[in-house]
Parts: sequence; C-alpha cells; structure tokens
Amino acid sequence: MTSLELRNVSKGFKSGKVLEDVSLSVNAGEIVVVFGPSGTGKTVLLRIVAGVQDPDTGSVAIDGEDVTDASPEARNVGMAFQNFALFPHFSTFDNIASPLAARETPAAKLKDQVGAIARMLKIDHVLGHAPRELSNGQKQRTALARALVAQPKVLLLDDPLRNVDAKLRYEMRLELPRLLRTFNAAVIYVTQDYKEAMALGDHIAVLRNGRIEQWAAPTTVYREPVSVEVARLFGDPTINLLPCKLEGDHVTLFGRLVPISGAYAHAAGRDLIAGLRPEHVVVTEAEAPGAIAFELDAVMPVNVRSVLYLRGAGGEELLATVGESEAAKFGRGHRKVWVRFDPRDLLLFDATSGQRIAPQVH
Amino acid sequence: MNQTSTLEKTIRGVLIALVLVFFLFPIFWILLMSFQNNDQILRIPPSLLFEPTLQNYTALLTGTLKTTAGNLDIAFMRNLGNSLLLSACSVALSLLLGVPAAYAFARYKFRLGENIAFTLLSFRFAPPLLVLLPLSLFFKQLHLTDTYVGLIWVYQLICLPLILWIVRGYFEDISPDIEHAYRISGNGWWRTFRKIAIPLARPGIAAAGLLAFIFAWNNFIFALILASASKQPVTVGALAFVTASGIQYGQIAAAIVLSVTPTLLLALYAQRYLVEGLSLGAVKG
Amino acid sequence: MAQLLLDSVSKTYRPRGKEPVQAVKRVSLDVKDGEIVALLGSSGCGKTSMLRMIAGFEDVTEGAIRIGGREIHLLPPAQRDVAMAFEGYSLYPPLKVRENIGFALLRERGASADIEKRVTHIADLLEITDILDRYPTVISAGQQQRTSLARALIRRAPVSLLDEPMSQLEPQLRAILRARLKDYLIEHKMTTVFVTHDQTEAIALADRIAVMEKGELQQFGTPAEIKQSPSNLFVASFIGEPPMNIFDAAIASEAGATAISGLGPNGQPAFRIQAPAAEAGNAARVRLGIRPHLIEIGANESADATGKVITNHWLGDQSHICFEIGGCSVVGVTDKPIEAQAGDALPVRFPLGAVHLFDAESGRALAHGLGRRS
Repeated sequence: MTSLELRNVSKGFKSGKVLEDVSLSVNAGEIVVVFGPSGTGKTVLLRIVAGVQDPDTGSVAIDGEDVTDASPEARNVGMAFQNFALFPHFSTFDNIASPLAARETPAAKLKDQVGAIARMLKIDHVLGHAPRELSNGQKQRTALARALVAQPKVLLLDDPLRNVDAKLRYEMRLELPRLLRTFNAAVIYVTQDYKEAMALGDHIAVLRNGRIEQWAAPTTVYREPVSVEVARLFGDPTINLLPCKLEGDHVTLFGRLVPISGAYAHAAGRDLIAGLRPEHVVVTEAEAPGAIAFELDAVMPVNVRSVLYLRGAGGEELLATVGESEAAKFGRGHRKVWVRFDPRDLLLFDATSGQRIAPQVH
Repeated sequence: MNQTSTLEKTIRGVLIALVLVFFLFPIFWILLMSFQNNDQILRIPPSLLFEPTLQNYTALLTGTLKTTAGNLDIAFMRNLGNSLLLSACSVALSLLLGVPAAYAFARYKFRLGENIAFTLLSFRFAPPLLVLLPLSLFFKQLHLTDTYVGLIWVYQLICLPLILWIVRGYFEDISPDIEHAYRISGNGWWRTFRKIAIPLARPGIAAAGLLAFIFAWNNFIFALILASASKQPVTVGALAFVTASGIQYGQIAAAIVLSVTPTLLLALYAQRYLVEGLSLGAVKG
Repeated sequence: MAQLLLDSVSKTYRPRGKEPVQAVKRVSLDVKDGEIVALLGSSGCGKTSMLRMIAGFEDVTEGAIRIGGREIHLLPPAQRDVAMAFEGYSLYPPLKVRENIGFALLRERGASADIEKRVTHIADLLEITDILDRYPTVISAGQQQRTSLARALIRRAPVSLLDEPMSQLEPQLRAILRARLKDYLIEHKMTTVFVTHDQTEAIALADRIAVMEKGELQQFGTPAEIKQSPSNLFVASFIGEPPMNIFDAAIASEAGATAISGLGPNGQPAFRIQAPAAEAGNAARVRLGIRPHLIEIGANESADATGKVITNHWLGDQSHICFEIGGCSVVGVTDKPIEAQAGDALPVRFPLGAVHLFDAESGRALAHGLGRRS
C-alpha cells in the first residue's frame, strides 16, 4: 500500500531550480533513502513533504489523500532534523511529548507513551534534563523520539547521524533499521554517506542537480550505476575512471588491448570512460600472465583493507584495495608491482554524456 | 608571551581611571550640587567640602519652593508621573505592534520587505525638528494637542524602529527548523509564535523594550511643543527652575538626579539583557 | 629533513579565576628523520596543544623539544624553521591563492620561474589548479584547507606540522588526495607530524601513531602494532571501524587447558573458547576483545557459538553483520556477501590468534592472540 507519493514535484529559488520533476513513492514499512552530495535539494524535498515549504508544481499524497495544500500540523508526519531542532526552553520530556500535547492527549496516556519510546531509545534517564545538558547522541535520540511518538504514517529523517561522532554513528546505523521497522511507517531517509544509504535503504533515490538520477536497490546502484557521477559517489576509495577507446572486441587501457566481450559492439567508435573498482584490481609482487607493470607509490592501511596508490607507465593513477594481511608484504611502497583485473568487472561509460553503456546480450 | 607585565597593567589602570573621571565627573558634580543651596553652588572657588542640605529635595517632593521672592509651586512630581506614564505606555504600544511586525519581517520574505523595514528605521535618523511644525498643525486639526494619546502616538516614532530592528535580529537568530519542528508536531502558526518564537526571543524583546523606555524618557522636543504644562515630562519640567528671580541651580540639580535615577537603575539592573540584546547575530548554541 | 624529539613535555594552562588544566602530561616522542607521525585522539586529549608547542605558539611548561639535536622550545616560531598548516586555514586575504602558496618561497629568494613551477605542481597534486587566481574569501572551506596545506608543504621544511589536514575534504576526493599526500611526503623525505581525531586518516597516512587521551600518551607504534597489540582498552576501542568487539569474560583452568567464557550483559556465559594452558594468565575477570573482520562467519566445523543475525548490511565491497550471541551484541565484517536475514542463525568462530585480553580494572593489555590451536 502506498503511504506516500510525490508526483512531479518542482521547486525553484532565485538561485536556481533545486528540484525538477521529482516523483517517488514509499510504502508503509519501507525505507527509501534519498542520497546525494551536499546541496539543498534533499532537505527541500523533506520540507515539501512535511508541508513547511510549498512546491512550485506537483503534488504530495499521504495514504492516497492529496495533502499538497494542507498545513504541516494537519499532515500527521514525523520529522527528525540534522541539527536536532530541539526546543531549547522545554525539557527533554516536553520535547518528546509535544506531538501528543498538540493532539490534546490526556496526561496519563501521554506520560506512558513518552516513557515507552524513551525506554526504547535508551533516553529514559535524561527525561528531566534540558536539551543543552544532553550529549549529541542523546539529542539525536530525543529528536527521533519526538518524531516517532505519535506513530506517524510518514517519517522523514534528515541526515540524523551527521552530527554524531563516528563510533555512535556506526552503532545507530546498526540499530536504526530494526527500530524503524517496528513502527511500520513510510520512511524517507536523507544522507550523504553512501554506506549509510546502502545499509539502511530498501531503495535508493540518487538525487543530482534536482533530479532523481537513479532509483534502484542498493546493490544495483553499486553494481550497475547509471552514470559516472553515481559510480563515483558509491564506493570508498572512489572508483578508478580511465579514458579509453573501443576497438572491435577490445578496449585500449594502459597501453594494452584488453579483451571485452562482443556485447559492447553498439558502442564502437565512441570515446569511453572505463570504470574499475579498487577491490577488483589484483596486485602481485611477481609477474603474472597478462599483468601490467605499475609503480606502487604509497600504501595506506584503511581499517579492514589497505589502499595501494599505483602509477602506470603512461602516468595514469590507479587505486587498488587488498586485504590487510596481504598489504604487509608491500612495505612502504616505492617499488614495482604487477596488476591484473577481470575485464568483466569493467564498467563502460560514454565519455560525453557520462551515461553507462550496458552490455547487450543477444 | 601571554603575560602582561605589571607596567602594562598599571598604565591600563591609569588610563581607565582617567576615562571614567572624564565621563562621570559631570554627574558627580550635579549630585553634589543637589545637596547645596545656591550660595554654596555659586561660590568661587568651588569646593568639595560643604554642609549638605536636603532643602532642594524637600522642595521638589512637597511641591513648594521657598525663595527670597516668595513661594513658588513646583509641579515636579506631576512631571515625574507624566514621564512614567508616557514612557511605559509608549513602550507597551510599540511592543504590541512591533514584535509581530518584527516576526513578519524575519520570517516572511515579501517584496519590498527590506525597503519598508529600512523606511521605518529611517524615522530614527530624521531630526524631530523636521517634522515638528507640520505635526503640530496636524495635531491641532485632530484635537490631539496636549493629550496623552497624542504624545504616546508620537513617541512611536522613537520606540517602534528600535523594537523592530533589535527584535527582528533576535527572531532571525532562531533556527527556522525549531519552528518547523513545532508546526510538524501539530501546532498552528499562532501557537508557534506564542510558545516558541516569543520565549526564545525574550532577551531581545526585553532589551529592546528597555532601550525604548530610556529613549522615550529622555525625549524633550516632542513634549515641549505638543503638550502643555500639565502633561509635560521631567525633561521639560526642569525648565521651570529658570524663574524670574534667578536660576535655582540646586533644584535643577536635584531634579536632574531624580530624573536620571529611574532609567539609571533600570539600565544597571538590566545590564545583562542590554548587552545580550545589542550583540545581534550572536552564535547559536 | 630532521629528527624531532619531545622529551617529557608537559603543558599546564592557568586560566584566570579557574582551576589550572593539565593539557599534556610528560609526553616523550621521538620522530625519526623522514617519518610521518599522527597525533590521534578525541577532542580535548592534548594533541593540538602538543602541535602548537612544537610550532612555538604555546610555551612548554616542562620538558624540552629538539629538532636535529638543536633545542627549539625557547625560540620564537619564526626561528624554528617549521612549516605549519593550520586548522583555521589562516590564509592572507589580500593575496591570491597562488601568492599565498608561494609566499614562504619568496622569503627564500628563489628564482621566480622555479617558484611558479613548484606552485603549479603542488596545486595540481591537491586539485586546486582552477582557483589559483582567486582570493581566499571566495573559495570554499575545503579549497581553503587545501591551499593552507599547499602553503605548508611547498616549503619542504625540516619539520612539517599539519593540524587536521583533511577534515573538510569531500569523501570522493579523500582517498586520492591522501594517496598523493603520502607519496609527496615520502618522496621528499619530509618529517611530518599531523593531528587528527579520525583514526582512519591516522592509520592511512602515518608510519607511526601516537594515541593520546586526557593529556597522556597511551601508545606510540605503527598502525599494525596498534591494531594487533593495543596497549590498553582505550586504544583497542578507539582504533578500527567498526570498533573492536569487547566483552566481559571469565577465565577458568580445567584439565590442562584454559577455558575463557565470554559473558553476557547479566554475567551469564555467552560463548566459550578453549586456549592452551597458562596462556591467559591468572586473572579471573578480564575483558575480551576481538576485531570484527577476524571473526570467522559461517565456518561450520569447530564453531565457538551460534549467533542470531540482527542486521546484515552489504556495502558493495564488504559485509557488516551484527549478531546476538548469548545476549551480547557482536559485529563481524567479511568481504563476501552473506546470504542471511534477520533472525537466521549462523555459526561463528573466534580464532585464538585474534583474541585480546585486557585487565578488567586498569584496562591494560594482558595478551594479544592466544597461541596456536592444533
């Protein structure tokens, strides 16, 4: 059942158009992540759904009912803001209780509901504090509690983990999906962190330049990005992008002809960009058949894997990731190594339009 | 590298003391004068030592002045009452009108908004003398001369711009997200204004109100021209001491002390709010 | 390029009317010639105070600082011959970006063609070529930060000090810029000390990391040493994303072997590991740590426990799975996608070599890895 539907929403300011013809729908119990680099489009979208900002064109419908002209207080939406937006002169209890107080819930019931959600979010021991006495993590949970307490049909989360420290952010990333599913609301979650997007979203809407550039499940966005920009946004380290040309059954890369299946015949003659994810680059100390010589200039351990900074004979830069234990044998770098990759891992993009060229299966 | 030497500290202390003396000396001298009679005041050379007398204050408070030429009725206490009434009512009216207006300017960007706001501020720049002549003619036609209502209305020229500009800055400092959150929680815009905007802007409103009170209290020219003796505030009332039989310096000094004291006490009490209110654009917590 | 030595350095701030604050407590560090060292810790741990003392913007309360054998802690900053990239960027507003970067070289009176070349080269490296002719007030925070970094790096000073050099950088540029920065520092053999609160950055860039907390040096070692042999609980839980899994545990000897029981939140046993005798010492109550990516997931033979899956996230190149084992929350990471949904049961193994033991009271490390299993 579609709980939330946006149709052809557009919004412009003096500085330019921020949203252009955006449509999406979210079902009850579903989490849709709106992902994009910093810019105002994502927050404006949430504000339009909440009703605190009006779209120029388009409509918003909740549970089948058109609410485009309805005021925010009539929409039964819950929203958690990036900078928390707690009422500084209310206690934590009153902050969380405000949606219930606005609906004139009787005092005993109000106390119960606030207590229940505070316990669920582990902030029941700070209910009497003022917002300025809370840590960032507690403020964020208070904002969440306030958004959830009245059991809204639609839940809007504006990058809630952005201002929270790394360790807590990781914990919340694990906890949030479970929490949100108990409420069965239609959730729109906005973030700039692709790992958060992949971890939390049932679907991801990649918003760029005011438009939804790709709408797909997380794994699909990662494996089959619709354009160079989307490929760059998903993946750490960023995907390697190398200009190349298609010649029959091969592409020219690093001064070599790399065999590509015939499925790309329709792209012949075009200027292309080849995308290769760092985890697909295989680096060895010893020469192997089909391997290309590279200069390993730096080794950077990063948590579970290590990033190798490679430079080719033609000056090309390449990043590869290897497991932690493997990286140890490369020392500090500044030595010669051999690089291989599976051509099937290559993503090909049109150099002019940036769009990915999908292999055509006959 | 970070320690100031004792020499620097002494020099700084001396300079501050000099500045203080320069600004506070006239007030100090007037305070002294208020406890002296005319002979002591006019004595040359002037001296710091004298026998204090309360006759100036008694004269003001009882309303009669005993001079060599006979008794004079002094309406000073009535003037004090007028000041209080006029200032308080003007500020109350300007807050009633100005705070919602400031909110509108802060939150709703409408066409010509900045122009209107600036025009209202420009009323503070214009010298009152510029508008006094036409104003007094209008007042006569509207039968507003020598009425409290008329004066309170005119005093809005002094108070409203202050309220508008200071309070608008305060409203702008409140993150709009907080108001959005309250609306989304299920409250209408009027409730949001009352329960969120006003409480959070309270220091600014208090500061603006205090400043407006002080400026209204100090005003001289409007009351002089547009009101008669019974409605005049202390600023004008001090003129009464320039009598046919000589200038009563002692009473003037006492009158000044009594005039200045209420606003001085208010400012001291509300010092914190004034500084807070005037440092617009302070960082949000 | 030179060796930098901090000898028992302490810093106490005495703000007027308040209690004195000891920001740095007797820290000694030796930075070898050409080495890259990170000062890592959360805010308020003293790392920035340390950097500012080396630069000369703060006095040293106790101790000495030497560069290349020469004592510098009493000299004003200008005479220390160190280059610094500030956290607040501190660019010269009336000069263009190009002139800001080349400013220090002008002092050294190099040939202007040579200066141009070096400015262009470093701007290329940090991707600020397109703003070289702009003024600091109109460029973004990330670009200002890179300009400040370029200004410090171009000098190739004996010691370079970088304060949070990449905090404003957008995520997509981070990996490649870090790589180029590390390459540049290694190539020119620059002794570098940088401050960061991001442990990922510290591990990626540094040859050795000085982990600090509350003014005290917790551990000074290579990224590998810090990850594999953290000296105490603080270091163990600070480093790594996801952070190390830490449990209460009880040790008991039985029949020539030692049994270590991981305990759940209420003290009940959650899982058991068998270790060779006497490996784990004789503390009865300890804390047990194991890093997420060393947990073996789905290994059916010799599983130590069965975990109930709570969440399973595939992030494109790695899986992060959160289990519940006997009431404990455990996070595991692997680089293959795992087919499992919330509620499924998966066997889990804790390799002995990956187990760390810490003293329950002091947090001090007791053992890193527990011998070989036959």
